[in-house]
Amino acid sequence: MTAKTMTRDGRSGLHDALSRLPGWVWWALAIVIAGVFPLLNVAGLVETAWLRVGVISLIFVMLSLGLNIVMGETGLLNLGYIAFFAFGAYTTALLSSPKFGLQWPFLAVLALSALVAMVAGFLISVPTLRLRGDYLAIVTLAFGEIVRLTITNLVPLTNGPNGITGIYPPALSSSADRGAGGLAAWLVIDKPVEYYYLVLVCVIVLAVLLTNLKNSRIGRAWNALREDELAAVSAGITASRAKMLAVVLSAGIAGFAGSLFAYYSNVISPESFLFMQSVIVVCMVVLGGMGSIPGVVIGAIVLQALPQIIRQAAGAARSDFEVYRMLIYGILIVVMVIFRPEGLIPDKIFRYESHEVDPRELERTRQSLFDLEEGEKDLEV
Amino acid sequence: MGSVLELQDVSMSFGGLKAVDTLSFTVEENEIVSIIGPNGSGKTTTFNLISGLYEPHSGDILLKGESIAGLRADVVHDKGISRTFQSLRLFTNMSVMENVLVGMHSVTSGGVVASMLRLPNVRREERAMREKAQEILDMFPGRFSGPRQSQPAYSLSYANRRRLEIARALASDPALLLLDEPVAGMNPAESHEVMEQIKLLREKGYTILMIEHDMHVVEGVSDRVIAMDHGVKIAEGTYDEVANDPQVVEAYLGKRAADATA
Repeated sequence: MTAKTMTRDGRSGLHDALSRLPGWVWWALAIVIAGVFPLLNVAGLVETAWLRVGVISLIFVMLSLGLNIVMGETGLLNLGYIAFFAFGAYTTALLSSPKFGLQWPFLAVLALSALVAMVAGFLISVPTLRLRGDYLAIVTLAFGEIVRLTITNLVPLTNGPNGITGIYPPALSSSADRGAGGLAAWLVIDKPVEYYYLVLVCVIVLAVLLTNLKNSRIGRAWNALREDELAAVSAGITASRAKMLAVVLSAGIAGFAGSLFAYYSNVISPESFLFMQSVIVVCMVVLGGMGSIPGVVIGAIVLQALPQIIRQAAGAARSDFEVYRMLIYGILIVVMVIFRPEGLIPDKIFRYESHEVDPRELERTRQSLFDLEEGEKDLEV
Repeated sequence: MGSVLELQDVSMSFGGLKAVDTLSFTVEENEIVSIIGPNGSGKTTTFNLISGLYEPHSGDILLKGESIAGLRADVVHDKGISRTFQSLRLFTNMSVMENVLVGMHSVTSGGVVASMLRLPNVRREERAMREKAQEILDMFPGRFSGPRQSQPAYSLSYANRRRLEIARALASDPALLLLDEPVAGMNPAESHEVMEQIKLLREKGYTILMIEHDMHVVEGVSDRVIAMDHGVKIAEGTYDEVANDPQVVEAYLGKRAADATA
């Protein structure tokens, strides 16, 4: 039987052939595209503004990957996720800006920002571990708002609504040493291209680490808790510890992303950490496919880059666009939930529930039919 | 060595209802003990007490002499008791293989950082886990072979789901296996097959406490039978002793039937 005859729904052979490609081909392709993109800017073919869109999109990819751990893998809805992003961003801003005259080394700040967010994640996970569904959503939503309002009103530390300005670029040495030139001057990241590659490398490393984790006993424990908590506990999984780990890890990733965001944007203020931002990250995970790492990556890029592309295309109407952005998101999510609830690139297991038959799974479907026949044979006593 | 499991005057009530009333029994090493009784007689409550889902109001539960009463379910599992559920509780969106691997969670140790980096020890552990899971799945010949292992659990037939629950419970090499109605809803041929598998488990050295309504299975595998009614143990002994006990007959069929037998 050829590939063509196997698809009864009349899909082309090309579609089949593409579906048969192993996963790493897609990853390699994505990395090459992402890696070549800034070179177009260097060559003068693409405006620098697009590079900025790329950097912000990649930062949101990290956020979505982090939220996916709690939402997609463990099944805990978090509507205040952006608060951890804020913890990371403000930690970086305080340790590397004229606000307190500090300029800690880049890597130390990055690590500390993630750590501060993890501590925040730990503290919020303690009282919320027993909550489920709606209650958890409400508490996390409130947590996000409390953090934002605290930042807005804690003027001595955060400058309130004005935000913190003049964040130093990431450097492996202090600015005084850089005056001397040489290697120290080279080790500073302050051009969009450099930021882009820095964030890209972080995203790739993160995606690899999280893919490994997903396929480990810890990832399976999270999935088991998502599927049936009582059965998971009876199978020896300590629910509180596993959930806490998921929350703390996702918070750490958000803090890390927040640190990169603060370094990149130079200025941070509470308006970057609105409730709507949390909702947007949730949308990215849902759109891409809960529990699917490639899906979440695509979801974040689509939702972050698409508005910018539309804005550019809209041209004269660009100032109006922001007004419609959330409307478009809303419609997009409604359409997705109706026609493709499993997301753009669903996790392998959710794909079974979907309405399409992947050619790779036809063999398994035959096996199911065999299963059925066998079951009928069992009935004949 | 003493009993694997010992219940000492365990009681548990929901409001005014005494679901389990001063229940005492033991399960010895490599023994298959069945609990029978009409619906609502406290069998599943007993299981929930043993597996740590409920905490007894009084009395004690000993696993190899060590008290496990009131411990959390995951701790009880770590101590060596694993169970299946009467109403199937598989991880339906996970594959057959993954369901078994989850059952090994407490007997494996790969940490977060090591798992993220796929360090050699994690890889070794993962390989060993998969080999072991394969062995367990092979105990159900033809049921979970080849491509079926990567299918999600919800795609399995009803009988295979029950088998997979048993496989998941076996994954941690439990000192005591609790089976809650392992053949419920199966046709006679399927129950017969499960019965043979339970016998095989005894040969492999497992100790099993099971709740079952199918008297053919109870008769076929049990070393000892415990009959419960209204939370109280009304009879204990071999299958024949319990089946002919007037109190048991009364519990199932009513007083007149019991009088007629006597």
